[in-house]
Amino acid sequence: MYFPYFITYMTVGFAITLVVFLWALKSGQFSDQQRARFLPLEEEPEPAAGKASKIRRIEVYALFLLAIAGLAASAAVLVFAIIHGGQPAG
Amino acid sequence: MNPTEQTQHTGYPTSKAFCLTSLFWMMIATFMGLLGATELMAPDLLENVGWLVFGRVRPIHINLVLFGFVTPGLLAAAFYYIPRLLRTQLFSEGLGVVTVIIWNITLVGAVVSLMAGYTQGREYAELIWPVDMGVVVVFVLCFINMIMTVKNRGEQVLYVSVWYVCAGIVLTATTFSLGNVIWRPDTGALVGIPDAILLWFYGHNVFGLLLTPLSAGVAYYVIPRAVRVPLYSHTLSLLGFWSLIVVYTHIGTHHLLQVPVPTWLKVISIVDSVAMVIPVMAFLINIWYTAKGKLGAIHADIGAKFVFTGTIMYFFVSIQGSMMALPVVQRITHFNNWVVAHAHVGVLGFAGMIALGGMYYILPKITGRPLYSRLLADLQYWLVLIGVVGFTIVLTIVGLIQGNAWYNGEVVYRVLPQLQYYYVTRAMIGLVIFVAAVLGFYNGIRTMFSNRGTIAS
Repeated sequence: MYFPYFITYMTVGFAITLVVFLWALKSGQFSDQQRARFLPLEEEPEPAAGKASKIRRIEVYALFLLAIAGLAASAAVLVFAIIHGGQPAG
Repeated sequence: MNPTEQTQHTGYPTSKAFCLTSLFWMMIATFMGLLGATELMAPDLLENVGWLVFGRVRPIHINLVLFGFVTPGLLAAAFYYIPRLLRTQLFSEGLGVVTVIIWNITLVGAVVSLMAGYTQGREYAELIWPVDMGVVVVFVLCFINMIMTVKNRGEQVLYVSVWYVCAGIVLTATTFSLGNVIWRPDTGALVGIPDAILLWFYGHNVFGLLLTPLSAGVAYYVIPRAVRVPLYSHTLSLLGFWSLIVVYTHIGTHHLLQVPVPTWLKVISIVDSVAMVIPVMAFLINIWYTAKGKLGAIHADIGAKFVFTGTIMYFFVSIQGSMMALPVVQRITHFNNWVVAHAHVGVLGFAGMIALGGMYYILPKITGRPLYSRLLADLQYWLVLIGVVGFTIVLTIVGLIQGNAWYNGEVVYRVLPQLQYYYVTRAMIGLVIFVAAVLGFYNGIRTMFSNRGTIAS
């Protein structure tokens, strides 16, 4: 008999989530969103970043190619599965 | 207070200790992965060395990557940025250091017990009860430290990173306890199908409710700071956070579509797996729009470079995950190396990359010294990136060969010769990742312990 464990956990989890959400709502966590965007920046400024070099530009292109390769591999799997994934041959 | 003064004031011992933990265990974890990959290529290599057979090496690799490398790396960054975002000090650096010590004792216990053959035999939940309790204790200690820091905060509004970190820690403490069935110390398991449901509830949540929120927290902090632009939308980030909490908890059963679990549970897991596009795209749109037009700044900062690349990997692994939950796709891709490719993109490509990025970002700040070698860090970046992409390509090919063969009724052993070349390549890529881990450890140690001046304020 496992349902009591699962139902208890789901109920407790839902209750905690609801309590935290309501606390967030009442304490104004969703009200000042424009200021919240700047919170990571309200410290000392970072040292100035250098201008992107030619090598870094090559890195961007290489990264872009890798990204395209990854996307193509994922698309190939989807196409393969749709074409061959209907019914077993034997 | 400038960075040097801040470092002298607190010293960030918790962040430093988590950095050391992560960098060290990354070496051990990737070596175990390399060893396992080598044994798949040459099964007789260590046949007489019982404590290093594949069945023991693999769970050590997985548990060390998860709890030794990635999680401590992400927590190292969290213990740095959470007090700063809350405009306060960490509740207790002493408690943080004690947490790291217990954490490392637990990891040693995990390695020794698994090598000695003590396992509960459930994937991702192999650790025996005393080690399980160690994991629960460290997460409870982390939660106490974080929640008390939140309580003592000087900034009333909780930035989204704070939400992600606190949720990740408390959710993992609870799902770990439940998934490892800690109220049954002798077996650590239920019986039959309910145990499978529970196991994959935990097995998937340990990625989605631990590594994902901790990684998102790091990205939401590092990217705006690196490009010196405010977050694109904090409202969108909170939408992503709450939708992740609602959606992710249900999707573990998509690993059980081909076993007799209740159909309604399968349907929920499929629907919510596809619905994951909401929190994923909310996060990615936010990060990418924040960095829009600022790629030069991203590349100038090695930490941000790792983190940004991790977000791209998150896009891929999430697309894969949603696709994999579709039954027509899963018939080919499940129970073979395609899933292993998926796991490597997620844990190493996404969370691992962001953990490394987080550490590289904070290392100069917590030590008050510049990074020992930008060149070594760049080299590590490219080795990890090439390794992840290599794993993805090789293991995807292997997975499709296996999936197609088994789907058409072919027996396992007749397929093995077709996989040999790919397994050799896989082991070579494992070596690349191990070298990257050694470089990272050396760079981190030299940055922390060599006296090479201070960073500019």
